[in-house]
Amino acid sequence: MEAQKVDMFIMTNAKYFESYQLSAIRERLISMDDSRWVMISTLQLKDPTISLVISILVGHFGIDRMVIGDVGLGILKLITCGGMGIWTLVDWFLIMGITRQKNMEKIQPYLY
Amino acid sequence: MNRNRLYLFLFMACVVGFIWLAITYNQGSSNTGKPGVCLFKRLTNIPCPSCGSTRSVLSLLKGDITGAVMSNPLGIILLILLVLTPIWIFCDLVGKKSTLFIFYNRSEYFLRRKWVASSAILIVLLNWIWNIYKGV
Repeated sequence: MEAQKVDMFIMTNAKYFESYQLSAIRERLISMDDSRWVMISTLQLKDPTISLVISILVGHFGIDRMVIGDVGLGILKLITCGGMGIWTLVDWFLIMGITRQKNMEKIQPYLY
Repeated sequence: MNRNRLYLFLFMACVVGFIWLAITYNQGSSNTGKPGVCLFKRLTNIPCPSCGSTRSVLSLLKGDITGAVMSNPLGIILLILLVLTPIWIFCDLVGKKSTLFIFYNRSEYFLRRKWVASSAILIVLLNWIWNIYKGV
């Protein structure tokens, strides 16, 4: 793929991934065939900031976990009163990183 | 999340649950209606969907099923999970299998179906409304 195209993708999507993952993603994209570009560029990724907002507002009910795809853990969080409040507090700090990890898991099958 | 992390997480959750039960067991039900550990209830004074489940589990342990349902029906599910999960994890670890992990992934897939998800949300909402109405 053209470097210009890849750099544009990296620039617009940098916030969805951890910083250490970006160089690997860039390398994979450059060595990739052009036909996959449509799939990669239309991928729906979750915004870490949005999940942080959800976590602060309704994280107590496990909605944040359900939104990023961990439905089982979300329900567990809901029926344990947000893990007795502790899990809610912990997730305020972890949820952005977890969302980025989930995005990486989502893009991985297209990269390899 | 891989198998071992899930097992560690669930096991730790069960340990915390048992410790919490041990602490509250001696206090009895004298703190009915007062906000306990629940963040939401402390902030808003409205019970959250799972408020009252500690009392529910405690009344189940004393054999009072009606009291458990009146506190919060979720307590029954919680007690089953609390008893079943450590045994299941232990069996899996001894037998070097991952049946719980497979079950977890399958149930997650099952819960994502539209009709399952919407009925689950409806049940939780109804339970919540009942909770507020009872003033748990």
